[in-house]
Amino acid sequence: MNIPDVKQSWPNPINEVTIGATKEEGGTRSTTITIGGTGTLPFLSFEGSSPHRPVIAMEVWDFAPADWPEELEKYFSDVWDDPGKWAKKCVDEFNADLICLRLQGCDPDGENKSSAEAAEAVKKVLEAVTVPLIIWGCGNKEKNNEILPVCSQTAAGERCLLGTITEDNYKTLVALCKADKHKLIAESPVDINIAKQVNILAADIGLAAEDIVIYPSTGSLGYGIEYVYSIMERGRIAGLSGDKMWAMPLLADIGKEVWKVKEAVATEEEVPGWGNHVQRGPLWEAITALVYLQSGSDIIIMRHPKAVGELKKYINSLINKN
Amino acid sequence: MKENKVKVTFLSQDETILVEKGITLLEASIRAGVYVNSICGGDGICGKCKLIIKEGDVTARPTTLLKRDEIKEGYVLACQTEVTGDVVIEVPPESRAKGKILIDKDAQRFRALYAPMKGQVFFKYDPLIQKIYLEVSPPSLQDNVSDHVHLYRSIKRKKNIPNMQSGLKVIRSLPYILRNGDWKITVTLGVRGGTIEAIQVEEGNTTDQNFAVAVDVGTSTVVVHLVNLNTFETMDAEATYNSQMSYGDEVTRRIIYAELKGEEKLREAIVEDINNLITTLISRNNIRLNDVMAVVCAGNTAMIHFLLELDPSNLRKEPFIPVCTYPPPIRASEVGIKINPRGLLYSLPSIASWIGADVTAGILATGLYQADELTMLIDIGTNGEIVIGNKDWMVCCSASAGPAFEGSGVKNGMRAAEGAIEKFKISEDGKIQYTTIGEADPIGICGSGLVDIMAELFMAGIVDRSGKLNPDANERVRKVNGELEFILVPSSQTAIKDDIVITQADIESLIRAKAAIFAGINVLINILSIGFSDIKRIYLAGGFGNYLNKENAITLGLIPDIEREKVQFVGNTSILGAKMALLSKDALDIAYKISKNITYYDLITYADYMNEFMSAKFLPHTDVGKFPTIMKKLKRT
Repeated sequence: MNIPDVKQSWPNPINEVTIGATKEEGGTRSTTITIGGTGTLPFLSFEGSSPHRPVIAMEVWDFAPADWPEELEKYFSDVWDDPGKWAKKCVDEFNADLICLRLQGCDPDGENKSSAEAAEAVKKVLEAVTVPLIIWGCGNKEKNNEILPVCSQTAAGERCLLGTITEDNYKTLVALCKADKHKLIAESPVDINIAKQVNILAADIGLAAEDIVIYPSTGSLGYGIEYVYSIMERGRIAGLSGDKMWAMPLLADIGKEVWKVKEAVATEEEVPGWGNHVQRGPLWEAITALVYLQSGSDIIIMRHPKAVGELKKYINSLINKN
Repeated sequence: MKENKVKVTFLSQDETILVEKGITLLEASIRAGVYVNSICGGDGICGKCKLIIKEGDVTARPTTLLKRDEIKEGYVLACQTEVTGDVVIEVPPESRAKGKILIDKDAQRFRALYAPMKGQVFFKYDPLIQKIYLEVSPPSLQDNVSDHVHLYRSIKRKKNIPNMQSGLKVIRSLPYILRNGDWKITVTLGVRGGTIEAIQVEEGNTTDQNFAVAVDVGTSTVVVHLVNLNTFETMDAEATYNSQMSYGDEVTRRIIYAELKGEEKLREAIVEDINNLITTLISRNNIRLNDVMAVVCAGNTAMIHFLLELDPSNLRKEPFIPVCTYPPPIRASEVGIKINPRGLLYSLPSIASWIGADVTAGILATGLYQADELTMLIDIGTNGEIVIGNKDWMVCCSASAGPAFEGSGVKNGMRAAEGAIEKFKISEDGKIQYTTIGEADPIGICGSGLVDIMAELFMAGIVDRSGKLNPDANERVRKVNGELEFILVPSSQTAIKDDIVITQADIESLIRAKAAIFAGINVLINILSIGFSDIKRIYLAGGFGNYLNKENAITLGLIPDIEREKVQFVGNTSILGAKMALLSKDALDIAYKISKNITYYDLITYADYMNEFMSAKFLPHTDVGKFPTIMKKLKRT
């Protein structure tokens, strides 16, 4: 008896989004990165084609973070006074596909850096490396609306990925992206409807659906990861099934979530029985990332070099096997 | 004792009462019979019960719900203010119910509903109360049965009635009435379940005086229609606010009140409303109270509980059990309704705790239960009830929408009364046009106005799809205390000496309300595995007033985007169904059948409801494919 063919075909491939612009395209990057384009669920190459592999962005801050654990500090403390040097190390030594510059220093509750300082950080990273760039605001809406216009201007033509727009703060950024030719990250609070609503709101004021990457929020392994996973999977299935407002690449912000949970950070002396944190921390990040990879993430933002290395190996093994 | 009593005078109503020191002004106004708006029932959180102290002493608790200049002018919140000495009070226009004018206006509005709707059923004329005139042959030595048997025999000669009953009072009166009336009598017969009761025996022929009333016991409005049972005409109509409002604006609050203070007060309040309306109607139409022989009521399950003074507390507690859904006919006087002392009170059957006799009435009135095509009835109130079905089957659910479309919980919201903005439009050049009920200066906004405002602001790009006001879109958008609002009518043109606005919070309440209703609709559609296109007719019922802009209701995503000609606004179907039952026993029997044959889906047990709700909390909907014509319209603008 023949086993019936249960392969599924999907009518609507996910949008392709290209980040970074070369000289010919009006930027200064040596390479560009294209994500999305898949016509199937992750790594099911027998069902459809996935022309672009998932990519890993490493996280760089605009000031030396005070709350990063020793396990991260030991890799970056020599460079984290300068975002340019920090970015260069990520690319040269740890093979980051692209850099995510997080303008955490501009947070008014923290360092409260100015727009000029933010723009300076952007400039430094652009000069230090030639990979494409993600520019991520500070988490404060009003401040983002101040600093991101200046950063966008500084990086005009570089086709950066800017973030983030939310349901109640999207107009400024959409206008910027249209003017300076960037792409946008649309953020939502682990909600399948709101994720779509942000996209519709941005599309309503003229942003092309092809300029959007969805960030549905991220949770660390052990902290609601199943919930986020199912939202991403449902959203991706909706997109593949024909819902244009879910047919965008997905982004997972792993490092920020993992490196604040005790399972990744606590030392063996603090929690006897959990094993050596030097191995546990990066492993926690790698496994969290791996889950998001399986849920359909196209860009994964990470911190620990070893975790990045492991995830790259994993991606290679999945892609080469097929 | 006497020195503890103080005088409270209500200026515009010309009412003065003596009350004990220390009670709140809200309590005093209830006792004086002066209506003061109150949504929260005295918790001090709604800010609707504003009064002005003209003279005298009070102690007012501090509140953030009054503006500084209001406090300067002597404004207080009635529920937060205790009487400490003689006091003179004025009830400002925004706190008044506008009772009298509303009654006339509502009567007019409801009169428009007398016209039958498409597909409406007509029943055999067979009213619940009938009067028959008998000329009885006097008894003799050969025919010497009792007066009682004599009466029954004479009735049965005229009408085929297998089971008859009558009360002791009627039997006691028989020898006198028969003989004084020279054996010419009129018997009033009333349907009592499976038997017929001889309710009353009168001398002579009074068959031309046979009246009854139908009542819609609404959560916010009580409507009474006076019906001539001989001509089956509706002679007149009256409406007033449900004075239970003082115990809470929505049902759950009133149930909680009943649990704390007993059901009696709630019954008394509604019975007094009904009695007042009946008194007004009969005096205006020169009818004797004694000739009104029956009352037929429809209303949600909780309202029927309150009316019959049944314990409502289990209605709101899982597993949501009513005391009674098929109340038998009782003597109206048992609950205090003043008609003929032997007159009967009928309540239409309810379906479940949160699907009431008003829905049964709606199904009856629209003829949904015998439709060939798939039909949907949407009854929008504090709970949005949705029925889908046809002559073969019916399902229903109830979505908790909140009272926003009834004007509650909306800053300048009000019920459909004089001065309410009922239509609203923003023209292409940005000009604002509105009309108010009674063409009075605006006091607030009623349900139909709110639907228009939401749809118009959305289409004009002043609110975005998530319902956020855009501060740059229009000069009428401003920020007050950190919250955005849109000025609908500037204070110079209103009757409340203040701007009439719609705030960001109002918009969010309205979006939640419409999302709850649409999610309920969608859940039922999903359960049935059908699509909107399978629905061949939508009846939209509810207390919006007599107007509802269908197009705007669809633009907002309140009801499905189907061909406009399939949608019919049917107004108050609750009273229409009650009247049909009054005029035909067949209709009442069918009402019982409807309530037994319908399947109730409890949305609480439906896991995907929350997801549907979130999806509907967008204009018109997150799933834009559900609203193709609205999307086309948006593209054009």
